[in-house]
Amino acid sequence: MPARLSEPDPIQPFTRTEEIVQIEQKLIEEINARLERQDANGGNGWASARRMAAGAFKEMGLPTKRSEAYKYTPVAKRVTDDLSLENSAGTVQADRKLEDVEGIHLSTTNGLLDSVPESLPEGLTISSLVDAYEGNRIFVNDHLSRAFVADRDAFSSLAAAAAEDGILIHAAAGAKIDTPIVIHHDTVSVSGLVQPRILVVADEGASLNLVERFGHAEGSSAFENRIAEMIVADGGSIDHVLIYERSQQSTFVNGLHVYQEGSSHYATNTITLGGGMVRNNLHFLPDGEECETHLNGLYIARGSQHIDNHTFVDHAKPNCESNELFKGVVADSATGVFNGKILVRQDSQKINAYQSSKSIVLDRSASVYAKPELEIYADDVRCSHGATTGELDEDALFYLRARGIKPEKARLLLLEAFARDVVDLIDQEPVRDYLYARLHSLLEAHAS
Amino acid sequence: MTRRNNHAPPTPLKDTTMLTIKNLHASIEEDGTEILKGLDLQVNAGEVHAIMGPNGSGKSTLASVLAGREDYEVTEGSIDFDGEDLLEMETDERAREGLFLAFQYPVELPGVSMSNFLKQAVNSVREHKGQDPLSAGDFLKLMKEKAALVHLDPSLKARSVNEGFSGGEKKRNEIFQLAMLDPKLAILDETDSGLDIDALRIVADGVNGLRGDDRAFVVITHYQRLLDYIVPDFVHVLVDGKIVMSGGKELALELEEKGYDWIKADAGQTV
Repeated sequence: MPARLSEPDPIQPFTRTEEIVQIEQKLIEEINARLERQDANGGNGWASARRMAAGAFKEMGLPTKRSEAYKYTPVAKRVTDDLSLENSAGTVQADRKLEDVEGIHLSTTNGLLDSVPESLPEGLTISSLVDAYEGNRIFVNDHLSRAFVADRDAFSSLAAAAAEDGILIHAAAGAKIDTPIVIHHDTVSVSGLVQPRILVVADEGASLNLVERFGHAEGSSAFENRIAEMIVADGGSIDHVLIYERSQQSTFVNGLHVYQEGSSHYATNTITLGGGMVRNNLHFLPDGEECETHLNGLYIARGSQHIDNHTFVDHAKPNCESNELFKGVVADSATGVFNGKILVRQDSQKINAYQSSKSIVLDRSASVYAKPELEIYADDVRCSHGATTGELDEDALFYLRARGIKPEKARLLLLEAFARDVVDLIDQEPVRDYLYARLHSLLEAHAS
Repeated sequence: MTRRNNHAPPTPLKDTTMLTIKNLHASIEEDGTEILKGLDLQVNAGEVHAIMGPNGSGKSTLASVLAGREDYEVTEGSIDFDGEDLLEMETDERAREGLFLAFQYPVELPGVSMSNFLKQAVNSVREHKGQDPLSAGDFLKLMKEKAALVHLDPSLKARSVNEGFSGGEKKRNEIFQLAMLDPKLAILDETDSGLDIDALRIVADGVNGLRGDDRAFVVITHYQRLLDYIVPDFVHVLVDGKIVMSGGKELALELEEKGYDWIKADAGQTV
């Protein structure tokens, strides 16, 4: 069954600069050239889906500031002439953390697995998409582009059109994979456009934990445009943590598309600490009853970083629950953007949907744009949203100082408490501990 | 000033001065409204002073000014705290020097655990005194001992500061912190407000257990009730930003009986 078509983000007509149009055309030509080259070599399994995505991208074009969804995040500014599908400038190694997490550790180069582990728990498959297609083309055709709606998201369409391979993680029906799967996105191109693709499937009653980290890769200014699709079948469960810590020269567009069948559980914690410009496009479609969806995120933006979390929960079926908490600390002249849309369709009764976004602005030159959007067409629902943006609480600071705590320590205590709130929701203790330590050192610099 | 003669003149119990406030004038920073209009007060080590007065007389402003809240501006006068100029110190320095304010409205700190908060506070004070930080074991022992003083459940150490605490728990938590930080001078700002009689007793017992020759208390209250349990050495009446009458503990009873109007009238004549 294909994913139900969701409401597209309104894309306003806009005039694109000559430069942008040229880059788009170049990218489309590159994609077409790839597809033709593959056709000549016997073809790529999901070429028709890629052609469809290419068509959707061509139709939509690169979003500029004039499109409502990208009003505050001019990703197009990061789209420069040298962006090309063909990256020849070499690669950079990122720093490696989270090694003490007990789990199945994988590493990637530009989004492709460096190697496939030899032994895996029963019911778990990890492979390249191409290999998966060789083995079971029906499975891949059934699942690829099921969670992702091509005409909704220009960047994901571009990535879906371009990616010739990717990663598949699949837990077969009933398989409870307790050991976390840890993906170290270790090696990345020095520059250019990198478009990784990952498909994660938890079949009926299956569960898995996924932890991904994009480590700090000094010297890389790559534009990573990734498409991740997660499919949770009936009674299945996926817990997902993503930690992004690339350098401030990097750009990241993170297209996450989640499709849930009935009685399933999905949780994401999207932690953005690095990157010059980051856009998290997080889409959730609980397409069955009794689904639970948790979407949590944290970002620390400093220097001239620009971090944007765009979330969209499409409550297409009744009796579901979604919980959303996004927090940000914005310092220096950095920018934080939050746009959280919850759509409750007319027949989706008994929905509980909660959304909260909170940000702390530390400097006068820092800015935050927050826009919660609730669109509710059903009448028997419980939905709430709240967005707060402000400075550190003066009364709390005074209280701490009245106990002898120096101002910089008092500020650090409050900032850490604010940010740890999201990290607390992560299951794996070593991942939490790593993040607590990272937050401490990142925030310490902004507490004095 | 005839009425003052009805009461025993406040003579210091000891001659170690802890706090000397002279001609203190303070205004609300935001709009310049003057709240304290020439307040004088001397508190010696070992003494308990009660400050009473009608609503709006400046009681809480006095507490805020002593703790260094930036919402108030001192326009005139001086405060000497154990030989140091208190007004020259930041809020946190005052606390490290041994001044403690028990808040009328304790602040909730979501996500900041009691144990982390107290560890930072206690070690800040210790560092200032040139002492080593407490070991984890000693710290836990101290917490357990002091929590028992005000009947607080030791499991509170994992809870966020004041978050989800009942009104009574919040006030007991203030006295618990007082005990942990071992200050020279404690100011209790309306600690009795919102307490039922049982909680009031627990809080008062806690405070009484902390009385000693080296420590002074300034107990700010609207009602005499608290002073049945924390028996003061001196009672001062604050009206319109000034202390208009001082006496022994029996003055509190007189105020309970007659209210504040007769003093206001009296103050009106003498000002």
